[in-house]
Amino acid sequence: MADSTKDKIKYGLLKGIDVSGFKVLDPPVRLLFGEEPRKQVQDIAKYMLLPIVFVLVCLAVWTVMGPNHKTKSGEVPTPARVMTAYQDNVRFDERQQEKADDFIVAGTEREETLAETQAELARLEEEAGRLAKESASVAAEAKLETESKLSPLKANLDELKAVHKAAEDTRDAEMEKLAEAVVAKEAQPEQLVALLRQNEAIEDAEKEKEDLIKDQIDEVLANPPSEVKEAQMAANRVADEVQHYKKRIAILTNENRNVKEAEYLAKVEEGTAGLATAEDPKKVVREAKSIAKNAERAEDAKTQTYPRTATIFWQTKRSIATVFVGFLLAAALAIPIGIMCGLNRIVMACLTPIISIFRPVSPVVWLLIFQIIIGAFFPDPETHPLFVTLNNDKWFGWIVNPIAFLQTNPAMIFSACTVAMCALWPALVNTALGVSSIDKDHLNVANVLRLGFWSRLFKIIIPSSLPLVFAGLRISLGVGWMVLIAAEALSSSDGLGKFVWDEYQNGSSQSFANIILACFVVGIIGFFLDRIMIFLQRLVSFDDGSATA
Amino acid sequence: MKIRNTILITAFAVGSSLHAEQLDVEKDELKFGFIKLTDCAPIVIAKEKGFFEEEGLQVEVIAQPNWKQLLDNVITGELDGAHMLSGQPIAATIGFGTKAHIVTPYTLDLNGNGITVSNAIWEQMQENDESLDTPTPKHPITADSLKPIVEEAKEDGKKLPMGMVFPVSTHNYEIRYWLAAAGINPGMYTSTDLKGFTDGDIELSTTPPPQMPATLESGKNVAYCVGEPWNQQAVAKGIGVPVTTNYDIWKNNPEKVFGVTKAWADENPNTLIAVTKALIKAGKWLDAQEDGKLVNREEACRILSQPNYVGADFDVIKNSMTGYFYFQKTDKREMPDFNVFFKYKASYPYFSDGVWFLTQMRRWGQITEAKPASWYHDTAKSVYLPEVYMAAAKHLIEEGSLSADEIPSDDFDGYKEPTDEFIDGILYDGKKPIEYLNSHKIGNKDDPSLSAS
Repeated sequence: MADSTKDKIKYGLLKGIDVSGFKVLDPPVRLLFGEEPRKQVQDIAKYMLLPIVFVLVCLAVWTVMGPNHKTKSGEVPTPARVMTAYQDNVRFDERQQEKADDFIVAGTEREETLAETQAELARLEEEAGRLAKESASVAAEAKLETESKLSPLKANLDELKAVHKAAEDTRDAEMEKLAEAVVAKEAQPEQLVALLRQNEAIEDAEKEKEDLIKDQIDEVLANPPSEVKEAQMAANRVADEVQHYKKRIAILTNENRNVKEAEYLAKVEEGTAGLATAEDPKKVVREAKSIAKNAERAEDAKTQTYPRTATIFWQTKRSIATVFVGFLLAAALAIPIGIMCGLNRIVMACLTPIISIFRPVSPVVWLLIFQIIIGAFFPDPETHPLFVTLNNDKWFGWIVNPIAFLQTNPAMIFSACTVAMCALWPALVNTALGVSSIDKDHLNVANVLRLGFWSRLFKIIIPSSLPLVFAGLRISLGVGWMVLIAAEALSSSDGLGKFVWDEYQNGSSQSFANIILACFVVGIIGFFLDRIMIFLQRLVSFDDGSATA
Repeated sequence: MKIRNTILITAFAVGSSLHAEQLDVEKDELKFGFIKLTDCAPIVIAKEKGFFEEEGLQVEVIAQPNWKQLLDNVITGELDGAHMLSGQPIAATIGFGTKAHIVTPYTLDLNGNGITVSNAIWEQMQENDESLDTPTPKHPITADSLKPIVEEAKEDGKKLPMGMVFPVSTHNYEIRYWLAAAGINPGMYTSTDLKGFTDGDIELSTTPPPQMPATLESGKNVAYCVGEPWNQQAVAKGIGVPVTTNYDIWKNNPEKVFGVTKAWADENPNTLIAVTKALIKAGKWLDAQEDGKLVNREEACRILSQPNYVGADFDVIKNSMTGYFYFQKTDKREMPDFNVFFKYKASYPYFSDGVWFLTQMRRWGQITEAKPASWYHDTAKSVYLPEVYMAAAKHLIEEGSLSADEIPSDDFDGYKEPTDEFIDGILYDGKKPIEYLNSHKIGNKDDPSLSAS
């Protein structure tokens, strides 16, 4: 009895693993249930440990090779630097959250937070001062060292230049002499030309020598010692934090919405008092107006929120939302059209030229086309009903809008359409193929049973073509995800693509690490999207299907 | 002229109320766009230092991928306003490129650009002019020593490729001016040649700023004109040498402006004044000095180096923003006026600046037909809104955060005094655009009779 439940759990787990495509987890599960331990251990070693070791080796190679590959745009960041970049992004996100919280915190809590923040700021300022001094002293030391390296080089260069100048003067004198000789017909003009050539060669050689020293000087100047950079970075990090705390204090004291509300309300009271004593009718009107305005402002202040800046986490969510919108659009178009193509050869023949021509078109081109076409529908996006609805916090005053945080805008629509346009083709072609390659026996059965069009479609055609449809959809989602990043970068629709593009434009010492970080984020999310599709595909497949590709 | 009337009315209303009061803004949640360059500073500072807040405005500041997209986003209403190239509102208004009536009440900064040449070109320039072959050559460096290189390349059937950031950007006009001052024809725009290559001795094409250093390294460009930090980057990475800054090409030239559409300005006159107020405060904060030292610049650099703003390294931004400029690794010079945000009454929107850009657009053929002088003045007046600036400034004076001598006087007509502080010393009088156009050797010239208005 116990065994059979155990078996049930075991096979349930194995089936789950199989369907979700994580076949690699198969041996540990079997090992856990005591099935052929020896074989499972071997499998674990072969298919789990070895790959892990391989990945670790890759990381090690990256760690060693990265810093050695110096381009003029900076060196390749090590995994540790990428990790730091990740932490910095987390901190950046936290800072946004802190500011947003500071903006709405009220009452004694606000005062407590303010006191805490001020204490922290004092501590940080002290530390920043200390680090700045340290960094300055390290830099001064390094400068002395550089000077000591430079001065002999500079002296060398000056000396060399003087020697060369003297040599040039003698050559010029020689040349003049020869020229006079040529004029006096005592020498051949050819000699003069030869001498000229010779002199030019000497000059080039001299220049090369000078350049050699100049290069050495540049080399010394180009590579400030790494301690200097590190000290500077440490100081900068704390100074950034100081800046953040200063801003927090400003928010907690002046910009906080409750503080503002109280201020406006005080003004209203002041106005009301003024109104009571006013005698001039004009003044009364003015006071009344100001009271109304301030009351309105106080009301507005109640619901204000801090305008948060995009962080990588929010951008990731937005990218995923965009890709699904695009993907669903693509599926909604591709499946019906694909079925029609599969069913009817004439439809297929009509659509073939269109598919063949548009399929290879780059996403960039589609984006530009959609910007022009779809942009026309939203002359004033802020008041357009579509965006007003999508971005409204509460629908009908009480249903919480789950997608309000995405801040849908036309750029997002362009990107989603671009995704749809590029993701359309694999799904369409596969659906058509799936429908047209249905087993003839199935169709014969349908004929025998005299099924109508709709029951034939839903009972026979769609079910038997589903595996290929899903295979197509899986490719579509993969394509869509790849395309999305490019589309976002170009249309500046907030998302991972924009994150990468912004980092590229920042060109800071951390940018390269951030771009590599984004590369991993995109890769990992792409991986999970693919797994989701494999899962769906396996659910509808009759055969084994290959999930690990 | 709807906006002008509204301003008169609000200005009158202000005169009658005595204490400082937030303006009755039409729209209090705004989105402004910017390009990741240090001269967006006033907008970023107004947000981060709470100057927008003080005016009752909630502002989001959003990075844009390029100038074209930025302008499009302003036109479609996705953005309320943006950091723009000085030439952009004018070009959009007259319909060169995307057409839309854009207006500007505020000049964000002066100067701030440089021209960088590749190491190879710099060496050849040094060969042509031996006085340049020192670690600290005398400035300004003209393009005279570049001319033989250009000619040699032309004899070989090549046109040297050079880069600027946008067809109507200050950079385009500056590098053209610098080249033309030495007798190098940078190429003309015609009604069919919108790239501006016609008759050029060189080929000047558009390259996005962050890619400039890379194009120099790959040889796609041999020289470029761009804002910071991309000149200093070339020095830091040892791939090029900045030979001159636009301070030497035209001393204290306007670089970027704050632009909104005319329709937006008409709908939100008070908001525009409130925004201008915040920007003036930000500009003043940026240029605040104590004992001749810019006291707030370091904090400004700290803010700008945040990844959601300019995002470059603090140290790189600090280099140019705090009054120094590296021409070579061995040549660090003091340039206190490399970035001017407020002093010299910099942020006032001068008609004469608009006219200068129009003359350059005409000179290089972006404006294809000859226009009378009056057209230049009218166009400048339809783009620049000094009355908004003055209304904002008056509010600030009343509130005690600005003094009257920091802005032009009431009867100022919007035209700067004539100046010859250009690299070629030609006199520019904003009131005489046709004469100015005709005083240059290279470029379009118009019938002098057009100068009669």
